[in-house]
Amino acid sequence: MRVLRSVSIAFVLVAPLASQSAYQERDFLTRVRRLTVEGRRAGEGYWSPDGSRVVFQSEREPGNPFYQIYVLDLMSGDTKRISPGIGKTTCAFFRPGTDEIEFASTHADPKSKQYQEDELAFRASGKERRYAWDYDPEMDIYAYSEKTGALKRLTEARGYDAEGSYSPDGQWIVFTSMRDAYNRQLSEKEKKQLDTDPSYFAEIYIMRADGSGQRRLTTVAGYDGGPFFTPDGKQIVWRRFDESGLIANVWMMNPDGSDQRQITDFGSMSWAPYMHPSGQYIIFASNKLGFENFELFMVDKDGKKEPVRVTYTDGFDGLPVPSPDGKTLAWTSSRAGGSGGQIFLAQWNHEKAMEALKNAPPKKPAGKS
Amino acid sequence: MREPFDFTAGTRDGGSTFSGTAKGARVACEAGCVRALSFSDTGNAEGPVVFAGYGIVVPEGQSFAYDSYATLDVKDKIVLVLRYFPEDAEAKTKQVLARYADLRYKAMAARQHGAKAMIVVTGPRSPNAGELAPMTFDTAIAGSGIVAVTINGATADKMFAAAGKRLEDVQKSLDDANPHAAGFAMPDVTAAVHADVVREKKTGHNVVAYLPATDALTTTAKPWVAIGAHYDHLGHGEAGNTLASKDDAGKVHAGADDNASGAAAVLSIAATLAKEKRHRNVLVGLWSGEELGLIGSIAFATAPPVPVDQIAAYLNFDMVGRMQDNKLTVQATGTSPMWAKIVEQANVAAGFDLAVQEDPYQPTDVATFNSAGIPCLSFFTGTHADYHKPSDTPDKIDYEDLDRVAAFAAAILRRVENTPEPPQFTKVEQQLQSGGGRAGVRVFTGTIPDYSSEAKGLLLGGVVGGGPAEQAGLQKGDIIVEIAGQTIANIYDYTYALDVLKIGQPAKVVYLRGGVRRETMLTPGARK
Repeated sequence: MRVLRSVSIAFVLVAPLASQSAYQERDFLTRVRRLTVEGRRAGEGYWSPDGSRVVFQSEREPGNPFYQIYVLDLMSGDTKRISPGIGKTTCAFFRPGTDEIEFASTHADPKSKQYQEDELAFRASGKERRYAWDYDPEMDIYAYSEKTGALKRLTEARGYDAEGSYSPDGQWIVFTSMRDAYNRQLSEKEKKQLDTDPSYFAEIYIMRADGSGQRRLTTVAGYDGGPFFTPDGKQIVWRRFDESGLIANVWMMNPDGSDQRQITDFGSMSWAPYMHPSGQYIIFASNKLGFENFELFMVDKDGKKEPVRVTYTDGFDGLPVPSPDGKTLAWTSSRAGGSGGQIFLAQWNHEKAMEALKNAPPKKPAGKS
Repeated sequence: MREPFDFTAGTRDGGSTFSGTAKGARVACEAGCVRALSFSDTGNAEGPVVFAGYGIVVPEGQSFAYDSYATLDVKDKIVLVLRYFPEDAEAKTKQVLARYADLRYKAMAARQHGAKAMIVVTGPRSPNAGELAPMTFDTAIAGSGIVAVTINGATADKMFAAAGKRLEDVQKSLDDANPHAAGFAMPDVTAAVHADVVREKKTGHNVVAYLPATDALTTTAKPWVAIGAHYDHLGHGEAGNTLASKDDAGKVHAGADDNASGAAAVLSIAATLAKEKRHRNVLVGLWSGEELGLIGSIAFATAPPVPVDQIAAYLNFDMVGRMQDNKLTVQATGTSPMWAKIVEQANVAAGFDLAVQEDPYQPTDVATFNSAGIPCLSFFTGTHADYHKPSDTPDKIDYEDLDRVAAFAAAILRRVENTPEPPQFTKVEQQLQSGGGRAGVRVFTGTIPDYSSEAKGLLLGGVVGGGPAEQAGLQKGDIIVEIAGQTIANIYDYTYALDVLKIGQPAKVVYLRGGVRRETMLTPGARK
């Protein structure tokens, strides 16, 4: 390779930074590999129950600048879009024991196409804005049948309905809804809140897999979202933001909404929790180390210890999802550079994780560290 | 098949001479008192001598105004200039002056002021005092349109003595960079200069082979795919781009990673494909002259044994033997909308921690194939502390992962090779101005210089899609000979000329197309 004259090549000798932790990223994650390449960004990769496929969202559809949902076969490498191709989509999840995949979509909104064109025009103008999720109130949850290709609408309420995931027995969906902002009279303060940050109204709901029996589980002001069942189906783990929208923590509760309890008290934005199939610990993302620096952490299931840092790489690391056998981790990272995150896979060292959690110091209340 | 191509391998002095007179008396020039500068024209010049200080002209619009020629008439005279730039100037001023102190730039300034020749002396107050300037090797070589030599301090002293001055005093008067301190004509001093620059022509060889299709697709318009890697390296480091330490200077540069690894990958893929059904012919290329400026691959693309528009895709390998932490960089993915999809699919099995770069304007042969309009990719496992040093040795190669890279690339090639529809080519806008590498170049013209050319002027190897040059109607093969009133003899003149261009202000460009002189207006943009 020629010396590139217009760019000076710096030889950076990577020395392990002095760190308080006895662990490094490679203790937990080895053989890091990039799963998605195509498109501006991809994320939220969730495993099929047999671990042979991953469903994810990606901005890669020609003519549509927004996320659509794709299923990637880990044997063949083939990828197939399963969402309608129109509008925005997010948060897909395989329904265990069936051919169904749920995801949220705005394609029923007649304005969808217009939004696509507006966004494309904006991007073509060369302008950039910070990436932000807009909590489109027309977002509703659908179940897609892989056999028939049919799409069944599960939610109807005005307000963002998304972030759904199935119970291990495939009978229930926990999800996030902002319907509370639309189904009652708002105070002036709340109206203002809706304009600036609609996620304030987000609460956790549960419904049957066919969309029936929708029921609210949380009632605390501030964004409650990102719920998942634990592997035994007996608990729901989610993240709860405070009213400011700046601090979030990992919480757990029973599927009927009882016994809500705070797991982390980390004094930062700790979100996207997902329990490891062992049932022993929760992996999540937090900006503990700097407002824009999200890293993966893990915490014991009872939240008795301080969280343990998992990733040590520049850029965003978040949305961790262990494979059903617990041996591989899928997560979303911007470590490859570029304007958006992509999905990465790595071998997950469960034994090392258990050891690190065991060695972790007892939980320190936030602000007293 | 060995495919020969000619190139300029270097320059040497073929016997330059200098003789002077001071007040009628001959100024003796002992052996070794003179040497041609590498960019000099070969020729003679004789005439009165004008001392032009440091010979620096800072173009208008810089923070600091300085023009060594402001008060001098040097037309048809020989200018004597100091090497480097004023020694005692403030750091900020030095930064500006240093940019215009390159001897090529000084030669251009002398030529543009009408001088017949330029003589350079290293002043007594400068580093390397009194020594000849070295004849640096440069592959982007072309005469600068003027005779230019360097003489030693002793010879210069005699000329100044005849003018009743001491060079050290004269230099000191200039060294604070006072823009009003000027050079002067040297009455009764004349010089006769003969510069003899021998440009060494050598012949390089690309090695090209092909695997014919076994099950040719009858429908396809592009029945070829190609893989390639350069197989040259730096020899003993003669060519100038070695990074060897002083202790290692002159040792054999093994080039195990750069680029025996790439050549091995190409051979390995060819061996694999040789055993398989092939729907397209597979061209296998090993390029020489890459380290000297991609000249082997350019020679191939200029006179290709297979028409380049018959090649569906090209995969390049340059430094693929030193994988760290499973990281592999795939470059030039912007050359086809198909690449991201194909690379993603192939990597599901290969499992690399991929970094993907859309930019095909890389310092490796992939740039040549991009210029030829072929969808292409380049594979790269990253640079390392042994880069361009004798310590780039085979024991440091990660052979297992080199195999994985070859298997990954073979899977990608297979996918193109057996798909009837060839990948569509997309032109990627160039993000950085090529060449120069001078931090101060702020304007963007969208030209892609052909560095291998010896044409007088700037031969365009291409223009950036949608860029100012394309909008001005310039195209590949045009030779720019003048821009904004400044004559352009070579790429150096061109990069210097860019300094006077202003963003958004149209500049006249004179160029040759098919030997015919034409004019156009080019409006430079802002460099991104």
